[in-house]
Amino acid sequence: MAEVLLHAEDLGKTYGAVAKTVALAGVSFDLHGGEFASIIGQSGSGKSTLLNLIGLLDTPTTGRVVLNGRDTASANRKQRAALRNDFIGFVFQFHYLLPEFSVLENVLMPGRIAGVSATDLRPRAEEVLALLGLEGLESKGANDLSGGQKQRVAIARALMNRPALVLADEPTGNLDTANTAAVYQLFRELNRELGTAFMIVTHDRSVAQQTDRILEIQDGMLLQDVRNSFVETGPAAEMELAAQPAPSV
Amino acid sequence: MLSLRIAVRFLRKSPAQSILIAAGIAVGIGVQVFLGSLITSLQTSLVEQTIGNSPQVIVQATKDGAALDYTAALQEAMKGEPQITTVVPTRSFSAIFKKGAESAPLQLIGGGLAQLDTIYDISGRLTSGTAQLGAQQVMVGKDFADTYGLKAGDTASFVLPDGKPAELAVSGVFDFGSAAANSSTAFVDGDYAAGVLGLGADQYTAVDSQVSDVFGSTTVAESLRSQPALSGLKVTEWQAENADLLSALQSQSSSSYMIQFFVLVAVALGIASTLAISAVQKTRQIGILKAMGMKDRQSGRIFLWQAVILGVSGAAVGVAAGLVLIALFTFLGRDSTSLFPITPQVGFVVISFVVGVLVAMVSSLIPSRRTSKLDPIEVIQGG
Repeated sequence: MAEVLLHAEDLGKTYGAVAKTVALAGVSFDLHGGEFASIIGQSGSGKSTLLNLIGLLDTPTTGRVVLNGRDTASANRKQRAALRNDFIGFVFQFHYLLPEFSVLENVLMPGRIAGVSATDLRPRAEEVLALLGLEGLESKGANDLSGGQKQRVAIARALMNRPALVLADEPTGNLDTANTAAVYQLFRELNRELGTAFMIVTHDRSVAQQTDRILEIQDGMLLQDVRNSFVETGPAAEMELAAQPAPSV
Repeated sequence: MLSLRIAVRFLRKSPAQSILIAAGIAVGIGVQVFLGSLITSLQTSLVEQTIGNSPQVIVQATKDGAALDYTAALQEAMKGEPQITTVVPTRSFSAIFKKGAESAPLQLIGGGLAQLDTIYDISGRLTSGTAQLGAQQVMVGKDFADTYGLKAGDTASFVLPDGKPAELAVSGVFDFGSAAANSSTAFVDGDYAAGVLGLGADQYTAVDSQVSDVFGSTTVAESLRSQPALSGLKVTEWQAENADLLSALQSQSSSSYMIQFFVLVAVALGIASTLAISAVQKTRQIGILKAMGMKDRQSGRIFLWQAVILGVSGAAVGVAAGLVLIALFTFLGRDSTSLFPITPQVGFVVISFVVGVLVAMVSSLIPSRRTSKLDPIEVIQGG
């Protein structure tokens, strides 16, 4: 198995100083390079909170995230920003494309943030756009695309800096069935072809079952961590729990 | 320069908003350039009118009315002052003008016409007659001539300080642009004045002078007082004699600065509030840029760049508008004697431009700070 890409240890997040709300508690797992995993749970279960913590968008109240061997607990905002730019690509439910920029410019943005010139980035951007079937749309404004196209541009942007990990939070929440199927097929192809690890947050069990590994979150805790061969072949009762025992809920 | 590129795109995305902010800066700087130049020119005009054609530093005997010897040492001392542009020794006395039952006091200044012209420009201000001062001739002011029905070629009767009568021919009438000066001052030949006052060839009642920088007269006077050649003599200068005028000029400057200051404050508040709104409008974009790894300082610079772009363009338009206003004011007043010419000072215009850009940059501090502090999670969680 590939090396550990992400190590989450006893991750917890509590909101509020007086009236405390525990959004996440004691979540630990390792994600290896090239894994294709999903986080599943009901609305409000804490799955997005977990994604934000491992994506270094938020800081945990307890525990730590080790990304590519680097303990991020001591990293400041600037270092966290640099780590996000280097290692992580984000795809959200909403595309978050910059309406002021064209498709190509949106895709170039992570590279531009890293300080690389647009000229040097151009071949990579074209490669990624081609991979996502977006040829010919380079000069279009971000607002001139269909919903499915916008989300594909957002995925292209997430892949621009060759991230080791793509974090996707309900990436097809705003798409129709056909586009939803196409996006997950695309994720799977990208995972196989580029070796990029994916961690997809979804509330849809059928979507999760297409991934190799399911981390199920319930009431802020990791209920189970299941490998895919069992998901695909056997009933839920046969699911093999990962090394970590599920906490009692 | 990703921050600059993003700043330009943000501005172009909301052209009306961008134009409004730039217009606000333009109005402020336009007012600044016009008002500042107007006040400066008004003051220059007032000073010029008041003391431009009169002595600015005067050397006299300590005792009023006594004669002083215009020695070679005194001449050297005066010429040695680099700021002094012209030196004219004069012999002045008071006489009573008589016409029938009417009489009026008049200050007669005696000297060579060519020399007197270097200060008073009598020849250049002649309204009738000829510019000449012969032994028995007098040049009088327009208002005085009008009051007593005098014209060039007439004979005017005077009672001299020693009580003797004198008849002088009016050679010319001048207009100093001031009724007070026109009614109280007249000019006679220097030798004639020496005879009236009983002065020798090198004796005068005053040595009048002008200086290159009128507000430098105090320094020049102080320097002259310290010279041995002027010991026992009295040195006066226009600023000490015109405290009221100076106070008025100072008050005018202060009120002008106040107006300019508050115009800039209003502009700064306008820019700050509009940029703050713009920062709120762009929160989502800033949030996603930060999620992709944009650093706090880099994102804060976006609004600083916006302010620089708006400041430079707004201030440039403002300077142009201010100069157009000045040209318009000058054009409208070209035939008017009551309006004065406004001369824009290059230094002041440059300062106004720089101030405009700086005000815009300072106004961007709040949105820049807000942007750099923004956490991407605020946007991601907010959807």
